[in-house]
This record gives sequence, structure tokens and C-alpha cells, in this order.
Amino acid sequence: MPTMTMIQAINTALDEEMSRDERVLLLGEDVGKRGGVFLATEGLQQKYGPDRVMDSPLSEAAILGAAVGLAAHGMRPVAEIQFADYVFPGIDQLFSQAAKLRYRSGGQFTAPMVVRMPTGGGVKGGHHHSQSPEAHFAHTGGLKVVVVSTPYDTKGLLKAAIRNDDPVVFLEPKRLYRATREEVPGDDYLIPIGRAAIRREGADISLISYGGPMVETQKAAEEMAAAGIDPEVIDLRTVMPWDKETVLNSAAKTGRVLMISEAPRMASVASEVTATVSEELFDQLLAPPMRVTGFDIPYPLAQDKLYMPTVTRILNAAKKLLDY
Amino acid sequence: MVQEKVRFQPFSGEPVRLIDEQGHWIAGFEHGLPPDLLRRFYRDMLAARILDEKLIILIRTGKTSFVAPHSGHEGAQVGIAHALRKGHDWLFPYYRDMGLMLAMELPLVEIFGQTLGNAADPAKGRQMPSHPGSKKLNIFSVCSAIASHIPPAAGAAISMKLRRTGQVAVCTFGDGATSEGDWHAGINFAAVQGAPAVFVCQNNRYAISVNISRQTASESIAIKAHAYGIPGYYVDGMDVLASYFVMQEAIERARAGHGASLVELVVNRFGPHSSADDDSRYRSREELAAERLHDPLVRFQRFLEKQDLWDANWANELGLEISKELEAALQEALQTGEPDPLEMFDDVFAARPWHLEEQRRLVAEELR
Ligand SMILES: Cc1ncc(C[n+]2csc(CCOP(=O)(O)OP(=O)(O)O)c2C)c(N)n1
Repeated sequence: MPTMTMIQAINTALDEEMSRDERVLLLGEDVGKRGGVFLATEGLQQKYGPDRVMDSPLSEAAILGAAVGLAAHGMRPVAEIQFADYVFPGIDQLFSQAAKLRYRSGGQFTAPMVVRMPTGGGVKGGHHHSQSPEAHFAHTGGLKVVVVSTPYDTKGLLKAAIRNDDPVVFLEPKRLYRATREEVPGDDYLIPIGRAAIRREGADISLISYGGPMVETQKAAEEMAAAGIDPEVIDLRTVMPWDKETVLNSAAKTGRVLMISEAPRMASVASEVTATVSEELFDQLLAPPMRVTGFDIPYPLAQDKLYMPTVTRILNAAKKLLDY
Repeated sequence: MVQEKVRFQPFSGEPVRLIDEQGHWIAGFEHGLPPDLLRRFYRDMLAARILDEKLIILIRTGKTSFVAPHSGHEGAQVGIAHALRKGHDWLFPYYRDMGLMLAMELPLVEIFGQTLGNAADPAKGRQMPSHPGSKKLNIFSVCSAIASHIPPAAGAAISMKLRRTGQVAVCTFGDGATSEGDWHAGINFAAVQGAPAVFVCQNNRYAISVNISRQTASESIAIKAHAYGIPGYYVDGMDVLASYFVMQEAIERARAGHGASLVELVVNRFGPHSSADDDSRYRSREELAAERLHDPLVRFQRFLEKQDLWDANWANELGLEISKELEAALQEALQTGEPDPLEMFDDVFAARPWHLEEQRRLVAEELR
């Protein structure tokens, strides 16, 4: 079985979907001739031509708005936003058009489109190549939001997103693009949107995360295991709609929930998940659910690493929960 | 300043050029610039070139993380810097403007501090390299988000008009920026308000890999001004004096109360888009080699030579002197060390609210 990096898994998923369905087309800045600034679309313009792999003008509003029109008219566009931080000039198209089209037309029109974006920090990208804006999307009714963390999942989830009948924001932690390789089968498999993965089964504490910080979360879990604690590790994979059932089952089992995310804390996915756990399982918990998150500040270049949930920060919070 | 007589017509079919490739002055007017100033232009262009090389070395040696090379843009950037009133007018630059920063006399230590992201940076190492700013010099802090600074430039210009400050807002950007909605929004507003703004496109015909032919179906960037009801000047930006004189006319026109304009300076991008880019993926080496034959420094050198203002010895000395100055500033910047990590919680607001106090305490405890 071939082993792949996350970026190769993206390329493969796009390639497979484009050859399966000729309605699938790609558009974005530098996606054609250059193959994308991270090379996610490398070789695809040569293979499918400039009408199906389109170098757009430098306008996120044009990319996202055109994706809505393409989708409404029957195509299956996959838009690339060069960095999630640059979605903002196009946010009106995503929030006002894509998210609300089905609803405002009573289901007559739909926008089955995927918006791929490299997300997250840890690459010395400063304010505008480091942000984790998933909460903005999750907060806007009508958008599904996926955040991947492994090559295997990336292929299956991207293919599922392309076949999904709703707009899907597909966030790819850029620091994981080439971080690891894993076996990715050549067959046509899908991973359902809305389903979390249990990465490690355990009984003492539920560590819940998604995307980039899955790395630190799993490292922290290993350290805890070495110290005789038995953590369960859950990767949400989809943050909207998130897998409440899997999270609550785990929380009920361990009684302790620590949610880890590198996005800012205020009004975050981490806040939503931990609040739900408190609401629904209050009497079964051994300690209040806690969060380790990014800070509520613009992402600072000089503190690129310190900004993110470090293993130490995760272990400290876990200790608090366990000692409660 | 009284508006000088109008020399340049907007919407010319051919780019405005005052010095030809061989270095002849081909304009229909005398330039009237003193030798010192001409040599100063040359110095600034040479310094910009040397700075670019130095920044690339800092990348290779791992001392910095990013650079957007400006080689090929020197004539345009030096022309812009000398056309505005430094420290009086406001400049809204973009990330490919480090040569412009030099010519604007942003202190070299600050330039390197910003590049290193260390304590010598007035912005406290928070931004990516190539993102300077200086309140003292009225240089608006660079934002990576393309074209996002254009409406703010319009706003500042409107304020200048309302408060009758006699200032002008000069705003630079690349050709790709002209596709963003913010670009339209800002220029339209400035035009409607008759605000003293000059919008300057450094058109190197590439937005990373995307050629201008995929960016716009217009015959030029300058012609877009027509639709906003303002003049659009189409200029050979490889010609420092054409850049300077057209910019000066546009700036003084704005200062005199005649409103905004758009200046397109056509340049070449000699390097990759940035240190993260490999331009051989989309631009043939032959095309690049052909572009490199048209070097703004060489053309201006030929012009100076014809007036006995340039010789190889002088230029060599000058190069050495500049290199020494840059190196000294780099060393000084290197001495200042890393910024205090806890500073990351400052300047989010005028004062830290409780939640930032909590988050700051968490990090302080970790670092202890
Ligand atoms: C809103 C936004 N979208 C995308 C980017 C990523 N990006 C950085 S530079 C660039 C190309 C800019 O080209 P141009 O405006 O022509 O200026 P140049 O770099 O050629 O000087 C792109 C797409 C960005 N910085 N901001």
C-alpha cells in the first residue's frame, strides 16, 4: 500500500474525484500552473486542462462567489483559499451566499461546494498565515466544517466533502502537510462527515482535539500513559456538526474532559464542546471540563510556538483535572 | 507648493519613459535636478539592491524566515520615495517595499529588527519579515492581506482633506491586488471624495505564478482609473526619473486639491515571489534572463555616465560603503536579542482585559 503525506492525500483525492465526476473542477490562486503554493494541486492542470483547474484572479470574493454560481448551476467546485487567513475578503460570499442559499430558497437552490484552506500556526507565518478561523464558520448556519489531521482521513474526508450536497469548509493544518507519512489505500473509500475517531482508548481522562494540536495531544497522551494514567484520545475531525455521541460516551466513561485546540478560546469550538459536556453529563463528571486553547490575541510571529497548546500546557491542565 | 505645469497626460498608449535603454534623456523638458540628487537616487537604488541580497543571505543562514525580494522594483520605489514629502505625507506600503523603506529613511536597525523579528523591531517581532511600519515616519504598518490597506489609505486621505493638513496619502500594491474588491472600494471612495490620494501599482506582471493575462482583461492597470473618474498614468517603472516625475505630478495634483489618481509603474520581478517560492515552476529561465537585461540600475547608470556623474570607482566605493552601513546595522539589531514573550499580550487593546491577564499569567507561570 502506498504511503503518503497529507498533501499527497489531498492531491490524490482531488485527482480521483475529478476523474470520477467531470463536474468536479478546481479554482483558486496559483492552483493551476504552479500547482498551488503548497503543491496540493500539482500536476492536475496538466492532466485536466485549464478549464477544470483554473487560476483565478486574486480575489477571494470572486473565487467563493463563483464557486456558489458554479455549484448552483450544476458543477462540483473545489475552491482553494491560499491561506485560511485570506478567506476574509470573500467571507460575504461564504456567509451570505453559500451558507444561506439552500435555506433562503426553501431548498430550491443549493451550493454543493468545497472550500479548502490551509489553516493553523507553527510555520512562522505571523498574523496572516497562522490563524484558525473554524469557529467563524461553525457559527454560521449552513456550513459544514471539517478539520483533518492524518493523511488517511484527509483522502476519505475530502472525497466525502466533494460528494456532499452542502457547502463544506475543509481545513488543512499546514504544519501537518508534510509532517508524517501513512498508508493510504488506493481504493475509493469515504470517511463520513460528522464522525469523530477514537485514536486511543482509555479510562481515566478524555483528551479531545482536532487538526494540528492532535500531534501535541497524542504526545501528551503517551507521556501520561508512561506515567500510569490511561487517557482516551478523540479526534473530532468534523467540528460542524461535531460528533456529540462519541464525545459524550467517552466523557461518561472517564468523567474527565480536556479539550485541546489552537484556535482562540473566546466563543470557540472548544467552548461549545465543553459546555455541552457540562450541560448533558453534569452529574456524571468527576471534574469540570477544561480547555487548553490558543490565546485571544492576533497570532504573534515571535511567539509562534508558545502560542500553541504545548505538551506541557496540556499535561498541566490534565493534572488539574486528575487532581480535582 | 504650487502645482507645476502639467507634463504628463493620463491614459497614454505607451508607458511614460524619460530615459531610454541607452541612458539618453528623451523627455520634452529639462529635468533640472541637481547632480547630488541624481546621485542620491542612484545610491538609494544601489542600497536597495544590496539590501535585497543581504536579506536573501539572512534567509539562507536561517536568521530570518521570509523575504519578498524587490530587485527590479528599485527605480519605481526610489522614484516614489523622493516624490512624496517624507515624514509629512503618509505612505501605505505593501510587503515588497523594503527598497522603498530604505529610500524613506526608515532606520536600518529597524529594518533589520523587523527582519529578525527581535527586540529591535518597533512592532515587537509580531509580524512576518517584509512587514514594516513607522508611526514617526507616517508609514502605515504593512498588512499581509492583499489590498486591505487601500480603503484605509482612502480614509486617511479623506481625513487629510477634511482637516486641511496639506498631506497626501500614497498607497502602493502589486498588479494582483487590483483584482480584490477592497481595491475597487477604496479607490472609488477616494475618487468620489476628491481625496488627496495616489494609488500606485508596481506592476511586475506576476501575482506569485499568475500572469497579468489571467488577472485582468484590461489593456493596462492605469486604464482602470478611467472608470473611477480619476487620471491613470501608465509609466515605465524601470525608469527611476519617469517614476519620480509622474509620482511628483500626481502627488502635487492631489495636494493642490484636484483629487486622487492612479499610477501604474511597470517593473520586473527579478527574483521569486518570495523566499518560499520556486518561480522556475511557472516562469521560464529564458524569460527571466531576457527581463534581467532591462535593469533599472544599469539604465540609470548609463544616464549618469553621460553626464559624468558615474564611474566604476565611485560606484564600487559606494557599494562598499553601503554594505558596511548595512552590516553595522544588522550587527546592532542582532545585539538586541529576543522580545519578551509576555509582550505578546500587550497592544491587543489599550489595556488588558481580565481574560488576557489570565492568559498572560498562565504563560508567565509556564516560563518561570
Ligand atoms: C487577501 C490575500 N489573498 C491571498 C494572499 C496570498 N498572496 C500573497 S502575495 C500574493 C500575490 C500578490 O501579487 P501582486 O499583488 O501582483 O504583488 P507582487 O507580489 O507581485 O508584488 C498572494 C496571492 C494574500 N496575501 N492576501
